[in-house]
Amino acid sequence: MTPTPGLLEVDVLVIGAGMAGAMAALAARDAGATVAVASRAPGATALSSGAVGVAPDPTASPDEPLAWLRAPVEAARRLAARRPDHPYAAVGVAGLWRLGEALRFAARQLEPLLAPPLERPRLLATPAGNAVRAALCQRSMDAGDLLAVRGPLLVCGFAGHLAFDAALVAAGLARYTPRGGPEVGDAEVALPFDDPAARPHELARALEPPGAAERLGEALRIPAGALGAGAILLPPVLGLDPAARVPERIAAAAGMPVAETLSDVPSVPGLRLHAALEARLRVAGVARVTGEAAGAPAPGRAVEIGGTVVRAETWILASGRFVGGGIARRGALVEPALGLPVQAAEGREAGVHLARRPAASLTVRDRRAPQPLLSAGLRVDAALRPVDDRGRPVHPRLLAAGAVIGGHEQATDGSGLGVAILTGFLAGRAAARRGA
Amino acid sequence: MDYDVVIVGGGVNGTGTARDCAMRGLRVLLLEKADFGVGASGNSSGMIHGGIRYMLSDRRVTALACRDSGAIQRIAPHLLFRIPFIMPFTSRRDGATLRERAAFYATEVYVGTYDRYQPLKSGKPSTRLRADELYRLEPGLRPGLHGAVTLDEWGIDPYRLCALNAVAARGYGATLRTWTEVRQVLADGGRVRGVRWRDVLTGEEGEALAPVVFNAAGAWSPALARASGVDVPMRPGKGVHLTLDRRYSSYGVILTAVDGRQMFLMPHGSESIIGTTDDDYYGDPDDLEATNDEIEYLLEGAASLVPGVRRARITRAWCGLRTTVRAWGRYEDALSREHQLLDGAPDGAAGLLSIVGGKLASYRAQAQEATDRIERLLGRPVTPCRTHEVPLPGGDAVPDPAALARELPVAPPVAAGIVHRHGSRARDVLALVRDDPRLGLVVCRDAGLLAAEVVYCCRHEEVRRLQDLRRRCRLAVGGCGGLDCARLGAQLAGRTLSWSADRIRAELADLLDAGWRERRPVLDGVQLAQEELLRAAHGLVEVA
Ligand SMILES: Cc1cc2nc3c(=O)[nH]c(=O)nc-3n(C[C@H](O)[C@H](O)[C@H](O)COP(=O)(O)OP(=O)(O)OC[C@H]3O[C@@H](n4cnc5c(N)ncnc54)[C@H](O)[C@@H]3O)c2cc1C
Ligand SMILES: Cc1cc2nc3c(=O)[nH]c(=O)nc-3n(C[C@H](O)[C@H](O)[C@H](O)COP(=O)(O)OP(=O)(O)OC[C@H]3O[C@@H](n4cnc5c(N)ncnc54)[C@H](O)[C@@H]3O)c2cc1C
Repeated sequence: MTPTPGLLEVDVLVIGAGMAGAMAALAARDAGATVAVASRAPGATALSSGAVGVAPDPTASPDEPLAWLRAPVEAARRLAARRPDHPYAAVGVAGLWRLGEALRFAARQLEPLLAPPLERPRLLATPAGNAVRAALCQRSMDAGDLLAVRGPLLVCGFAGHLAFDAALVAAGLARYTPRGGPEVGDAEVALPFDDPAARPHELARALEPPGAAERLGEALRIPAGALGAGAILLPPVLGLDPAARVPERIAAAAGMPVAETLSDVPSVPGLRLHAALEARLRVAGVARVTGEAAGAPAPGRAVEIGGTVVRAETWILASGRFVGGGIARRGALVEPALGLPVQAAEGREAGVHLARRPAASLTVRDRRAPQPLLSAGLRVDAALRPVDDRGRPVHPRLLAAGAVIGGHEQATDGSGLGVAILTGFLAGRAAARRGA
Repeated sequence: MDYDVVIVGGGVNGTGTARDCAMRGLRVLLLEKADFGVGASGNSSGMIHGGIRYMLSDRRVTALACRDSGAIQRIAPHLLFRIPFIMPFTSRRDGATLRERAAFYATEVYVGTYDRYQPLKSGKPSTRLRADELYRLEPGLRPGLHGAVTLDEWGIDPYRLCALNAVAARGYGATLRTWTEVRQVLADGGRVRGVRWRDVLTGEEGEALAPVVFNAAGAWSPALARASGVDVPMRPGKGVHLTLDRRYSSYGVILTAVDGRQMFLMPHGSESIIGTTDDDYYGDPDDLEATNDEIEYLLEGAASLVPGVRRARITRAWCGLRTTVRAWGRYEDALSREHQLLDGAPDGAAGLLSIVGGKLASYRAQAQEATDRIERLLGRPVTPCRTHEVPLPGGDAVPDPAALARELPVAPPVAAGIVHRHGSRARDVLALVRDDPRLGLVVCRDAGLLAAEVVYCCRHEEVRRLQDLRRRCRLAVGGCGGLDCARLGAQLAGRTLSWSADRIRAELADLLDAGWRERRPVLDGVQLAQEELLRAAHGLVEVA
């Protein structure tokens, strides 16, 4: 027998390094287990808006005063009560009860990047001029919380940067003013450097060197003064590296709080989140393996990933949904890494047998309606073990976390990163218990 | 009377006829219930072919189509591109059955005869390829083929062909109104006197009076005419195309479908297109969607010669309704059996002229014939048609994209896309960048779309809805579904057309809806991940 090219023996192997995989690894590590994380490439986490949505409140009315927003955990409970297939329901009452703990754990782990959680959600602006609620957000976004801004909010774009239309954002946010949101104005300032075609991450980098953020802050004084603004909202390009302290430097020069909006794709805040998770895994002493797990055997057996052979008693599959590659459709819905059964829903019917249905019958015409095809994924029991078509766990020490679990549309139902944090945290803790 | 003629329908027949009528000095109103080309015209294969299919049944059609194809090349050279096709032989001459030999012989005679018409449309004559030559040209073909013949065809951007005919008509004084539906043809004592219309965006309604109404409403025309007691004998046939994310062949390949029908796979820009199905369709023409069976049929036919397409990423499936003449009408002065002009007089609707059928490739001749008839219905002498001599907008002195790219601050592939769509007016598009460098932003890398082009189309090309830009300049049509360009396009259009923030959001949603309808039946593999990303990027709309 030829010697194995490098054998890694750990308690827990996590497949996937998005929010779910990272949380699972950190929670297991934090509980004393040895952990390896294998991943192929950045997934949905790196593309996300950068703030953590936990749950839309299904019972909220659009005319309610903003101050009546329910706490994230309460909103998640209401969601679980209405949607028995949602991961919040799958983890059971006891599991969901730990959501607050999971969010605090995430905030602590990502302490340099994330602002501390509040009792209520923050209400943050998108580049399309909507406001969405976030249970956690980056420090760079905190001052834009529509519930906390004192005095008018100035939405300011950069001349020459067409992708962010300050007037459009301001007009959108003005819809919240009658419900308790701030007064809103808009302006445009010249950037301290000139490149009309710069992409978001190029702009973000360009604001990092000494002087750049300060010059922008100076320039903001004029329109902010004219409006009598209490805070300034800028495009989501305030530096790639949080250590460069771009928002803080702009704020100091402008003489008032400064925030960025959430991002659409490509997302600088998403890249920051990804980098922060990677950094945290390193510091926590989690072994990192780069490569693809394909056709892997079962927990307890050795598996080769990207040239490293890993053996772990417990596996956590956190491979994401379609963007991450954890679920794919190749004529039929499949789970490529371990070949687990994928569940889909059509009308009132749900089950593994629907995985072969044509794409059109797993979708509905109204684009804005929930799309069963995009909610397809693994089904899990309350212990987060993937189950087969008869509802039995596939393997006692195989767990799943994050968007690879079906029952929610990660991209649009406002609970994507919240599900990743909760299920990642629970799976990591459970795996550490078994490993010990 | 407000107008001499009201034209119903902004497909190639309606817009082409509007241009001809306006050039001949008639007062024209063109009403289109959605946007130019949304019907059969834009959803056609876009081939300005010589009608080789009609070689055996009616050579006059072939001759007419070839001659008219030549005319379209003269008036809109920028919109056309050459597509060399190969028609592979699946069996060998010696050792073939009698039936195969007959088919083989027929193909050569057929294509050989077609060559005689090729000069009319500056096509190259066909050549025979031996098997080794065939595989050198097209290595992706399945093994075991015995050679091929080539034939030369032309492709066009059919949406722009419609839009440019309309814009040209406007230049000669025609009034254009898109997103305006004709609800009723008004008549008095056996004569039409105009139409009642409704603006579907504003809800505004009105009447437009004219002694002649030209019904060019495509698959919708029977219903419109029926309300006036006129029977338009049409047999609608649904045709589905698939777009694949990249080129799977260097040449167009003529294929035989599972049921023996002819199909094709052709490269189109950086993508490929497979077409088409043809099935009777008597449902609602506003409610077309590709079915799973149709998609399978197309893939199977294409994979029979180019197996690689089985692994292809299908980016969308799109459909149109062919408007074939059902049966011989009473009026046999029609140019060919391919289309007919029906006079409503015998049915008590004098002044209502309807067109059935016709090809995109011979639209100009169809429009000429229709305009002659309209002049006669107006009791005027028939005046000379000049639509084959006068270029369409941008069709004069088409600039060299490489030279343009040197002159103005744009990359050569971007310049090429703009020249293809705008011809000599590419200079006007690019002049916007000179005045405002921000408009040099590349909105979509795939389509080579500049912010300036979005602004130009909004200002000059009858854009009323954001989705119109799908057809003017391919906004959000590519495989990404508008990930980068949709919101930016909405903002640019909104600024240019003074839309409110709410309107911009509504238009963006409508644009995304249009793409969803085409992608929904083909979501698989990478395309499904792309859709998830697109939905997420535009999903930040949860209103708190
Ligand atoms: C554009 C966009 C915007 C979003 N915005 C928000 C938002 O604002 N708020 C919010 O709460 N949620 C948002 N979401 C949803 C949220 O980002 C996801 O639900 C969440 O990030 C999922 O995390 P995950 O760890 O489960 O999966 P991912 O982040 O997708 O990670 C999956 C990981 O698994 C790896 N992997 C997959 N298969 C294998 C294999 N076989 N071998 C090895 N590695 C593998 C991938 O490479 C990747 O590292 C957004 C999503 C998108 C796409
Ligand atoms: C799949 C397919 C492939 C084809 N390929 C080719 C090809 O490669 N080459 C070729 O030469 N020909 C081809 N054809 C044929 C060609 O496209 C059509 O014959 C031609 O486009 C018909 O044009 P039209 O203007 O009559 O109809 P349409 O383009 O359908 O136009 C009718 C218009 O009327 C509008 N309308 C309807 N009702 C109303 C109303 N009440 N008020 C206002 N407006 C109304 C509609 O919105 C529509 O835009 C193809 C057709 C199909 C379906």
